[in-house]
Amino acid sequence: MIRNYLKTAWRNILGNKFYASINVAGLTVGLVVGMFMLLWVQDELSYDKFNSKADNIYKIDIVGGTGISKQIFNNIIAPVATFAKNEVPQVQDAVRIMPVGNAPFRYKDKVFYEDNFAFADPSYFTVFDFNLIKGDKRNPFPDNNSVVITEEMAAKYFGTEDPIGKVVTLGQDEQLKVTGVIPNYPENSSFKYRILMPLSRFNDLAYIKNKKTYDNKTFISSIDADWSMFGFQTYLLLKPGTKVDVTALEKKLQAIHERNKPEDAPVPYLTQPLLKMHLYQADGTDGGFSTVRTFGIVALMILVIACINYVNLSTARSMLRAKEVSMRKIIGAGKLQLFIQFMAETTLLFAIAAIFAFALMFVLLPYYNQFSGKELSLGLSNYNIWACIGLTLLGTLTASSIYPSLLLSSFEPLKALKGRVTIGIGNAAFRRVLVVLQFSVSIVLIIGTLIIGGQLKYIREKNLGYDKENVLSFSMRNGMIPHYDVIKNELQKNPAVLGVTRAGRDIITGGSSTGDNDWDGKPANSNMWFNQVYADKDLIGFFKMNIKEGAGFTGAVADSSHFIINETAVKEMGLTNPIGKRLRVQTVNGTIIGVVKDFHFTTIHHKIEPAVFQYKPNDCWKVYIKTTGAGAQSAIASALAVWKQYNNDVPFNYTFLDDSFKKLYTDDQRTGSLFNIFSAIAIVISCLGLFGLATYSAQVKTREIGIRKVLGASVSRIIGLLATEFMVLIVIAIVIAVPVGWYAMNAWLQDFAYKVNITWVVFVLAGGGATLIALATISIQSVKAAIANPVKSLKNGE
Amino acid sequence: MIKITNLEKFYRTEEVETIALNKLSMEVNTGEFVAIMGPSGCGKSTLLNILGMLDDPDAGSYVFNGVEIAHFNERKRADLRKHNIGFVFQSFNLIDELTVFENVELPLIYTGVSSADRVKRVEEVLDKMQIMHRRNHYPQQLSGGQQQRVAIARAVVNKPKLILADEPTGNLDSSNGNDVMELLTDLNEQGTTIIMVTHSEHDARYSHRIIRLLDGQTVMENIMV
Ligand SMILES: Nc1ncnc2c1ncn2[C@@H]1O[C@H](COP(=O)(O)OP(=O)(O)OP(=O)(O)O)[C@@H](O)[C@H]1O
Ligand SMILES: [Mg+2]
Repeated sequence: MIRNYLKTAWRNILGNKFYASINVAGLTVGLVVGMFMLLWVQDELSYDKFNSKADNIYKIDIVGGTGISKQIFNNIIAPVATFAKNEVPQVQDAVRIMPVGNAPFRYKDKVFYEDNFAFADPSYFTVFDFNLIKGDKRNPFPDNNSVVITEEMAAKYFGTEDPIGKVVTLGQDEQLKVTGVIPNYPENSSFKYRILMPLSRFNDLAYIKNKKTYDNKTFISSIDADWSMFGFQTYLLLKPGTKVDVTALEKKLQAIHERNKPEDAPVPYLTQPLLKMHLYQADGTDGGFSTVRTFGIVALMILVIACINYVNLSTARSMLRAKEVSMRKIIGAGKLQLFIQFMAETTLLFAIAAIFAFALMFVLLPYYNQFSGKELSLGLSNYNIWACIGLTLLGTLTASSIYPSLLLSSFEPLKALKGRVTIGIGNAAFRRVLVVLQFSVSIVLIIGTLIIGGQLKYIREKNLGYDKENVLSFSMRNGMIPHYDVIKNELQKNPAVLGVTRAGRDIITGGSSTGDNDWDGKPANSNMWFNQVYADKDLIGFFKMNIKEGAGFTGAVADSSHFIINETAVKEMGLTNPIGKRLRVQTVNGTIIGVVKDFHFTTIHHKIEPAVFQYKPNDCWKVYIKTTGAGAQSAIASALAVWKQYNNDVPFNYTFLDDSFKKLYTDDQRTGSLFNIFSAIAIVISCLGLFGLATYSAQVKTREIGIRKVLGASVSRIIGLLATEFMVLIVIAIVIAVPVGWYAMNAWLQDFAYKVNITWVVFVLAGGGATLIALATISIQSVKAAIANPVKSLKNGE
Repeated sequence: MIKITNLEKFYRTEEVETIALNKLSMEVNTGEFVAIMGPSGCGKSTLLNILGMLDDPDAGSYVFNGVEIAHFNERKRADLRKHNIGFVFQSFNLIDELTVFENVELPLIYTGVSSADRVKRVEEVLDKMQIMHRRNHYPQQLSGGQQQRVAIARAVVNKPKLILADEPTGNLDSSNGNDVMELLTDLNEQGTTIIMVTHSEHDARYSHRIIRLLDGQTVMENIMV
């Protein structure tokens, strides 16, 4: 029986190649894009879920500052974890991770810069599911020179040799012994540290070998006594089973902190579930979830558009099939049998589309991964991926098959034979609604594309308040800093080098900030934080920042107690005549000598925060070289030559500010490109459907067109007749899409502190574009129908 | 009014070439009522379609009102057609989505008659065809005879000089068929030239002249008295 159904279905598909290919093409494209996007969404939602204790792990943050300078510190002070573990009964275990910047890592003649390394508590391997696969599970760090690495690292440095016991060199001369290997991290892990050293090693280095002090009097005994140093990601594993009272826990942590360092009070604590870490900010605001949601919605929309195509085409075609169906009924087919027959047809068509879709996905996966920044694989073992794909297929199949099958199987045979098919008005109206829906979605996507594109252009062209063109930077290692003047001289000998300066931070991505400050007239309740920029005397000039008031640094000894602040700082401090006013930042008590015009030192997602420049050339480890576009290679060569003089054995690492700047907006660019593709695809699928509909409409109307032509209608009149029918739908779609698109994109732009205005031009372009594309699509069929010979039309029509 | 000389029409399909009209010559004068008869497949409809400028001949000459139109392009033919010719088909060919009134009104729209004039003229014809009371009905709600009367109303509403009818009574019973023939005769008496294809000797007797075709050629002409 089933075989029979399939056979008939197959013949039906073969017999209508045009119809079948439009359907398969639309479905295939829709499925590929829809599934890719849903896989992406699923991947984003799955972050850190592989940790078996994930539900009980919380990240701890501290809130600092008030007003515009309010910020959340993800890397907090170290002792809290230890105290919490000892004092709070709920807390079963704690992990602290201290990520370290990049450094060279060496084994024999193999040396590479590694950037994913960190100091961590040994609990890192048990609280999270990062169990050792080699080495002693119960004691991953036998001593302070231990290091645990990932499988990938082991293979990279030791090949097939047993990594355990190998001695490696970190940085210049730190000898470490490999004591454990952990598996490579899953792609959806927030933690990607490939080289892990015991936190006790950091304790040893910073508090025991080098005595640490903040006031030149008392020495801090250990990491667990240092209530000032931030930099430790802290996670608490809570006892399972108990209902977690987050607020109470936060209060307890705050109490611990304030008891040990009363001058910080109030210092509110925040907890965040591990599973929310990837998509939310610590304070619960959006951190990517809205993008995931948007993509999820768009994916569903594209699938819906593809389903609509199928429904539209098959119901439209049902007009042409009415007689066939009736004959089947008269011969004796039951309603159910017909229903199954049509379901079989849909399923078969879907199967064909699914096969094409899979083939395409396999081919496109590498490109998609590159494009989306993911490492998805379609391995058979990946249960989640197949569940996602299966659900998508089932969902679309159900959505597309039921209505057309019901419709077709319920024709009344006599009426249909006489040509009085009842699907007339009601059914056509339903189809129109679907077309309107399709085009509304497409137009919303076009609007999205235009606005995102506009915002990205705005970012690219926005005046950042400093000049980042052709600036190359590298970090000096310890041995170089005292020789900076020599290095600078050396570099400036090259005519391709237009200028050299240095700073104590990365000018683009930001650096440290401090809330330890005071000035004359500081309100009692103010808790203001400054972004700190340690600068050499020529930094401001080098970046062409504008001094609005006062003066810049000259390099005089007095400059060490001089401050230059930005406009926002002036405003936030409530100063009217800032020049000459007293300001204390941490231990430096001095005066404000200049005000610099606001500049963007982080992404323009954020509002400009208060910033302070301090003259501290000896803390400036970042060298900036201004070059010319053409001289870039020559400047790099000079920098490399200088580098070699001081670090023969360490590879040279440099970046261009333009590149770092671009990196900041990688996610935004990606969203932009994805939207371009999605809206193009939505339009293509919609047009495919429209093309099919126009074809059928012309086919159904062949006789009518014939008669009209016999009676004297001109070709243009006939085209008009056919096109108007659809253009009305497009216009309705525009009317629906404009407010929806405006609303959605306005919400998207809220994520940027600085943004483009949405103008009517966008809507005109989107609406006009959709109209033109639709018109072109319809015209192909309409023209064909209109110029057809009426004699033939009338003959076939009967 | 019509003079065709050595008219030829071929149909080529993959396997065979059909000669639908084979060097056919004939003449029809203004005011005549001509019946064309012949066995199925002899080319009657083909001839009528060419005369009605719906199709063009492959060879030969077709002079309409003194103008050679065999080489006319589609636009020119359509223009000439809509002002001069009305069609009546065996299968009525009414548009299902339009009412009786709208169907009849259609040719007037295409010739650019003003809306007020259209109403007047459509009502006039509907009255004459005695289907005024059905003006707001759809074709599917009418009997075959009524539908054909609407089709004739539509054919004459533009006051064409020539009416081409392809088996106008083919789908009707004899009484309805006779009504249609009476209508055509009336129209002819008022000066409209009529060329009608028919299989019925009875209907043919309403005409002045019968042209008999066989395999695309005239075999004989009977003049009725
Ligand atoms: N579009 C076409 N393609 C191929 N052959 C055709 C076509 N139209 C007509 N013919 C052939 O041309 C010949 C004349 O056809 P036509 O329709 O004129 O016949 P007819 O005299 O009107 O017949 P009937 O009385 O059955 O209506 C026939 O042999 C027919 O098969
Ligand atoms: Mg015929």
